[in-house]
Amino acid sequence: MWKTIIRRVLLMIPQILILSILIFIIADFMPGDPFTGMIDPNLDPAQLDAMREAYGLNDPLPVKYVRWMSNAFQGDFGRSFNYQQPVTSVIAGRIGNTIRLSLLSIIFTYLIGLPLGILAGRYNESVLDKTVLVYNFVSFAVPIFVLALLMVWVFGYNLNWFPARGSISISAETQWEIWTSQLYHLILPSITTAILGTTAIIQYLRSEIIDAKVSDYVKTARSKGVPIQKVYTKHILRNASLPIASGFGFTIVSLFTGSIFIEQIFVYRGMGYLFLQSINTRDYSVIFVLVLFYGFMALVGTLLSDLILMAVDPRIRID
Amino acid sequence: MSNKKRYRMLASTAAVAFLLAACGNGDTEDTSEGTDNGTDTSEEVDEEASDGETDGPAPIEFDQRVENEGEAIDGGTLSIGFVSDSPFTGIFNWELYSGNPDAMVMAYTMGDLLGYDENYQYDDSGAATFELDQETNTVTMTVKDGVMWHDGTPVTAGDIAFTHEIIGHPDYTGVRYSGDIANIVGMEAYHTGEADSIEGITIVDDKTIEIEYQSVGVQMLQAGGGVWAYAAPRHYLEDIPVAELESAPEIRENPLGFGPFKVENIVPGESVSYTAFEDYYLGAPMIDRIELETVPTSSAVAAMENAQYDLFIDMPTDQYDTYKDLPGYTILGRDENAYTYIGFKLGEWQEAETDEDGNIVEPAQNVYDPNSKMADKDLRQAMAYALDNDAVGARFYQGLRRRANSPIIPNFADYYNEELEGYPYDPERANEILDEAGYEDVDGDGMRETPEGEELVINFASMSGGETAEPIVEYYMQSWAGIGIDVQLLEGRLHEFNSFYDRVGADDPQIDIYQGAWGTGTDPTPEGLYGRDAAFNFTRWTSEENDEFMEQMTSAEGFDTEWRAEVFNEWQEYFMEELPVIPTLFRKEVFPVNNRVGAYDISIGTNPDTPGVGLHTLYLIDEERAGQ
Repeated sequence: MWKTIIRRVLLMIPQILILSILIFIIADFMPGDPFTGMIDPNLDPAQLDAMREAYGLNDPLPVKYVRWMSNAFQGDFGRSFNYQQPVTSVIAGRIGNTIRLSLLSIIFTYLIGLPLGILAGRYNESVLDKTVLVYNFVSFAVPIFVLALLMVWVFGYNLNWFPARGSISISAETQWEIWTSQLYHLILPSITTAILGTTAIIQYLRSEIIDAKVSDYVKTARSKGVPIQKVYTKHILRNASLPIASGFGFTIVSLFTGSIFIEQIFVYRGMGYLFLQSINTRDYSVIFVLVLFYGFMALVGTLLSDLILMAVDPRIRID
Repeated sequence: MSNKKRYRMLASTAAVAFLLAACGNGDTEDTSEGTDNGTDTSEEVDEEASDGETDGPAPIEFDQRVENEGEAIDGGTLSIGFVSDSPFTGIFNWELYSGNPDAMVMAYTMGDLLGYDENYQYDDSGAATFELDQETNTVTMTVKDGVMWHDGTPVTAGDIAFTHEIIGHPDYTGVRYSGDIANIVGMEAYHTGEADSIEGITIVDDKTIEIEYQSVGVQMLQAGGGVWAYAAPRHYLEDIPVAELESAPEIRENPLGFGPFKVENIVPGESVSYTAFEDYYLGAPMIDRIELETVPTSSAVAAMENAQYDLFIDMPTDQYDTYKDLPGYTILGRDENAYTYIGFKLGEWQEAETDEDGNIVEPAQNVYDPNSKMADKDLRQAMAYALDNDAVGARFYQGLRRRANSPIIPNFADYYNEELEGYPYDPERANEILDEAGYEDVDGDGMRETPEGEELVINFASMSGGETAEPIVEYYMQSWAGIGIDVQLLEGRLHEFNSFYDRVGADDPQIDIYQGAWGTGTDPTPEGLYGRDAAFNFTRWTSEENDEFMEQMTSAEGFDTEWRAEVFNEWQEYFMEELPVIPTLFRKEVFPVNNRVGAYDISIGTNPDTPGVGLHTLYLIDEERAGQ
């Protein structure tokens, strides 16, 4: 197994390299550069060009790429043009927000998804099951930004239950106030994410449970006299959760990547928000690092999923 | 609040975030268009275009001052909603910031060295006095007694020298080093590292500084016109290497200024809280605290409906109809330092020519091409008469914009030529001009050909963003079709802000005309936009007569304001006759003020001690916000 993991990790290196070349080429197609919006007639064109030269924007693509890569290997991922800070500091300032938001979203997602999926599977064809199915179809169909806007409008503005934007109140001073304020700001966006994020969990759980109910091992267990409750918790659930486990690696990874839509609509300053802002301002250095990071995370996600699957189901072996 | 610095390229309707070299809080671009239905409006205007009427709301006149009756409460917290889709980056430093949002959040705390009058001319109302001596090419600034940094240290002449030393430093990382700074005697030697100090800067005494320039011009009397009027706390920042300054916590977390409020807490990109600075030189602020939050344009109106803030800054004007009557607020308004225009491409930018030694033989400049497609003045004038910009202002912008008659905005009252008629909607006149000039429909397709009988198709570039961008462009093209001029949208679509200015600036031969907007800043001198060597003279239009005007405007005689105003008037007449660009719209900006704010005044250049003008004079008359 360790051999496999090492092989997979080694394989990531060429994958990341290819990804980075692709990003560089595509980013080069983007019109404008970080200085396009910097207009000041007292700054003569030579001055602007001097800035471009200083940041190496005029160099040919391969030169830019090699320079960036060699710096990156030394831990220098460049500076953000927009924030005038090292990219790593910019990201470090955001990732905490994103992790908090994603973590709470995942918790809510499983809190809603698991019981609904299990109940719907166990009592399939019941009224409850049908209700859950309807919810599932609706949540699958509704785009996240529609629900997010609706939630902001209803709970943020009309009912005033939750803050409509931001990640923390400016007047929070003590550590306790900071925590509660952060949590308060998290609830609305994370519930919104959770409501729409349950589709796969419910659907997989439900159908797996329905399948398992009539399978031989369940019949055997029942005929041995195992109580029904125990059959569900000990036998069915473990098998039914396999498909969910296969996606769990990505779930973990999503902790760090954040959601562009949610963060944008709730004006929540995390990674997704930063990504969109950086594209708008042509903040190349931030875009590169973020896309590479997302790509790397996707690779880690698949690896994690395989490992988790192996842990959950001893029949599966990777070697 | 400061309103400094110069031109800004405006995204006429784009919802974009971008870096800015020069800015103040007054000039912002439109951001995402809101709720108004562009298509409907478009149809209405089209009908008008055919019957030639211009009904609809007339341009709205706003008050610039509001006073709400009531006893001032003790202290209180003023909350400000700063409407912006680009968050502030959190650099609290005049030397290093680059974006408008940063200037906005700094204005409450960092302090302005010089005040200005209603014409944006420096006067003695700020923290220092200002004197310009034409004979010796020097500017003398004297810091007033009692002006103190927030830590109690007095602001000195050395602090003014220090701000120049930061910008001129060879390791300087920001964008403020410009021709204006290089104009200081000895600055270039300091900038290249040849000299350890700046020769032209003399500290006369603790409070007085003399700065010698290579040349001085009348524009230097103007806020943002060439004198760098800031101070940086030497005692606080001295030990930080200039290259590391922009990452230092001293400017990101614990900035030190001399403004009326001290920074208490910063949530990067989201909000800032300030507390009163009791030793402020104009007097202790009446309110205890300010909380400022960034609000995206998409939720600005909702925030106002819920009375979430006492003041809204940069409220989006395109949603005006949805909030103009909300209870609890008074809406103040004034002319924005900006105008929208349609430019005609008339030449090319020529890079500087150098000899073998790298010496510049011929400086970089605009070269007018008399054979360009749009070179015929008659054609340009006819196209201007074909547009009903009064209707555009009334219908698309609910009366918050109106037809522009000049490239100088009305805010520069001394220099704006209000008698100019400009180009009111007159399609008959347009047709006449074209007929006389020989533009006739030879092949019978309903569109005019050139006097030489060649087909005339004009490519029009415009920016995307917002719901009204497309209908307005459609309307313009239909209006031109109405006088038989075939104008086609460049590549059949609108272009994103960056690629638009990239192509316009690079003189893309595909573009014949384009729609853009300029933020003018606070200096009326149009040289940076229409001069021969101005890179931002995107039309590339030049003429010797124009050069002469530009020279006069910036000449020593210009210190005679009346004479200079006369030059400006003549130039505007000349410019509007030549018409390298059609100034299309003047714009209003609006400021909703909650009725619990005792007094608020947005007029330009008023004495800061007038209640409602200076931040230290603001007071609240109720614990609860009105309309909540």
